[in-house]
Amino acid sequence: MFLFVPFCGYSSPSSRSDKISQAMRAARIGIPLAALGAALFIFGGLMHAADTSIPIYFPNSKLIVKAETFNRATYVPIKEIIEFMGVPYTDALALETLTLRSGNSRLLMTKNSALMSYNNQILLLPSPILREEGRWLAPIEFLTIGLTRLTGTEFRYRPGTPRIFADNVDSPELEMNAQTLGPITRLTLRCSVPLKLDLKRDNQRAILAIDRPALDPVRERLDHRDRMVRFAFDDSDGDAKIILDLTRDVTDMRLTAADNNRVFFLDLLTKKEPVTEAAPPPVPTPAPAAKPDVIPAQRKVRVVVIDPGHGGMDTGAKSASMVEKDFTLVFARKLRTALQTRLGPTVLLTRDSDVALDNEARSAVANNNQANLFISLHAGYSANKLDDGSSVFVMKDNFGQAFTTAAAGGRDQLFLPWYLGYRIHHQASVSAANVLQEELSKAIPGSKFAVRTAPLAVLSSATMPSVLLEIGNFNNPVNAQTLADDGFQKTLADALVNAILRFSQSPQAAAN
Amino acid sequence: MPRHIKIGLIVFGIGGAIAMGFFVDIVGRVRSMVNERETEENPFKPPAQPLYAPTDPPMTVKIFFPAASGDSLLVAEDQTIFKSAEIANRARQILQKIQEGPGRDTMLAPLPKEAKVQDLFISEQGTAFIDFSDALATAHPGGVLNELTTIYSIVDSLTYNLPEIKQVKILIGGVEKETLAGHCLLLLPLEMDLSITNVIPHEEKTAQLK
Repeated sequence: MFLFVPFCGYSSPSSRSDKISQAMRAARIGIPLAALGAALFIFGGLMHAADTSIPIYFPNSKLIVKAETFNRATYVPIKEIIEFMGVPYTDALALETLTLRSGNSRLLMTKNSALMSYNNQILLLPSPILREEGRWLAPIEFLTIGLTRLTGTEFRYRPGTPRIFADNVDSPELEMNAQTLGPITRLTLRCSVPLKLDLKRDNQRAILAIDRPALDPVRERLDHRDRMVRFAFDDSDGDAKIILDLTRDVTDMRLTAADNNRVFFLDLLTKKEPVTEAAPPPVPTPAPAAKPDVIPAQRKVRVVVIDPGHGGMDTGAKSASMVEKDFTLVFARKLRTALQTRLGPTVLLTRDSDVALDNEARSAVANNNQANLFISLHAGYSANKLDDGSSVFVMKDNFGQAFTTAAAGGRDQLFLPWYLGYRIHHQASVSAANVLQEELSKAIPGSKFAVRTAPLAVLSSATMPSVLLEIGNFNNPVNAQTLADDGFQKTLADALVNAILRFSQSPQAAAN
Repeated sequence: MPRHIKIGLIVFGIGGAIAMGFFVDIVGRVRSMVNERETEENPFKPPAQPLYAPTDPPMTVKIFFPAASGDSLLVAEDQTIFKSAEIANRARQILQKIQEGPGRDTMLAPLPKEAKVQDLFISEQGTAFIDFSDALATAHPGGVLNELTTIYSIVDSLTYNLPEIKQVKILIGGVEKETLAGHCLLLLPLEMDLSITNVIPHEEKTAQLK
């Protein structure tokens, strides 16, 4: 509005010119002032972001402090923490210093300075210490740099997470995963210690209260890809809980415990129709309340990633009635259901629709989800129409070793190429392949399952026990028909579940 | 008609004719470039050199073909090539034999019929770079085992018969590919692997003779 005033002035009659020049003067002063005000409003907001509550967990107690953010650094109030810990201090108002004492040690801090003096030794903080309205605020690093030296109390926190663990307080990790199985969205919670959960729903918000303090969630929040639900871990008041933002489509919720209350499945039932594709049959709905029949105490395989081979433009091998990409997807879904019903691990598919994926992306799904076992599913093709053999592949041992050693020129190798990731668990992969071979030969007598090695792209960068199963021969019409049979696929899936169970109990299974 | 309009029309006509000329010329050039790429008989293609001289002595080589059945994935078949002076030409002859396929029913053809060797080069370190046409990947029927036998039929046939070749790097369509048909890694040069064949390695053979 101010901007229009000067332009109006040129065309207005001379009798009004005094008033207009006054308005112009007001505008000249007003516009810069308004701009300054706006700048302060915008940048002031960046300088000082909203406060958050951070719990500090001590072995037998906890303290909730209000953390503030200045210039993107998190600040915690010092006096509240040291009073809670019983550390004597002197707050010298005139000198603007704060001195903490413990035995003969002394830690001296000065307002607006990033330097601290600890027994005449200078310590540097990443941002300066502040004093606002009688409160001493120090960047969060003060706890590890200053307070740990003075009191001997260790502080642990992961940058970006709103919680601090002090001393040797036990902080078990909490894993959250979500996946959609037809009309059910399943949140899987996994912890190394038994938990007690309490679910309360209030219209579009549900709270899953956890009775154990000092939990360390691997991820703070989980935005599920179908946007039906959002999960967020919250312990800002010291009580751990998971807050679920639900949509109206979520009609029912069921909480199931497994593995002696170490694993929980929260199934959200939606009205949403499952997305069915043309080729594969609808996804069989796993019974959410069905309890896994075998829960061994020391089961090491908790996350299994199944990779249905090929997809999208890459059809794989072709038989008269079927293409490899459809067979692998249909069978992978059946195997997932069988695994979840009988063993209860988290089972993820690298693709759950007809999409193309490169090999690196497939093994990345397993790597990113800390999988304990990776199984890639393929169908075979032999020019010999009578051949019906199957193979269990593991990565070729020593693949790339000669080349990388030569490239390093005898010096210590600085860079490990990513396609050598398979080496870490190669022995375990061979054990898994042997177990798979035995169980498959037992379940399908008369068929040959050979363990072989090959330089396979999809296994090369998988950093967990990993195998590739190539089933049958698509060029053999009788064999191709058998592979498409529902009963045969069920037998095959059961044999694989037995093998995974056996491998899971073996010492070779990685407990990562 | 006023004079200035006449002049204007003439100038416009001349301009149009020149533009048309350029356009026809450009279209012609583009067409010739496209034809050049599509024509099999490229005039710039070097004349085919004979792979061996009439005086070169014959030599027996083992060509590895996928087995139709049995425990070994690859089975060797003895064939004869000529001991040409250049190792690369001996390698080309071996590749020709692989392309021709086996002489017996107990073995299978390792390469798709359409696949051709476009170029071959052997480095000083003993790495043979073989550039196959795209058909090696596009016409491959698939299957992990099938892909494995295709690759090692090439690798083992070359490294077993020509000790100068230590490893083989397969290129497809002139470029490096991650895999042949989605399964087996081609990023690194591959070394001889006789464990999947019915042939004993040279070293073990000499050890047995001793």
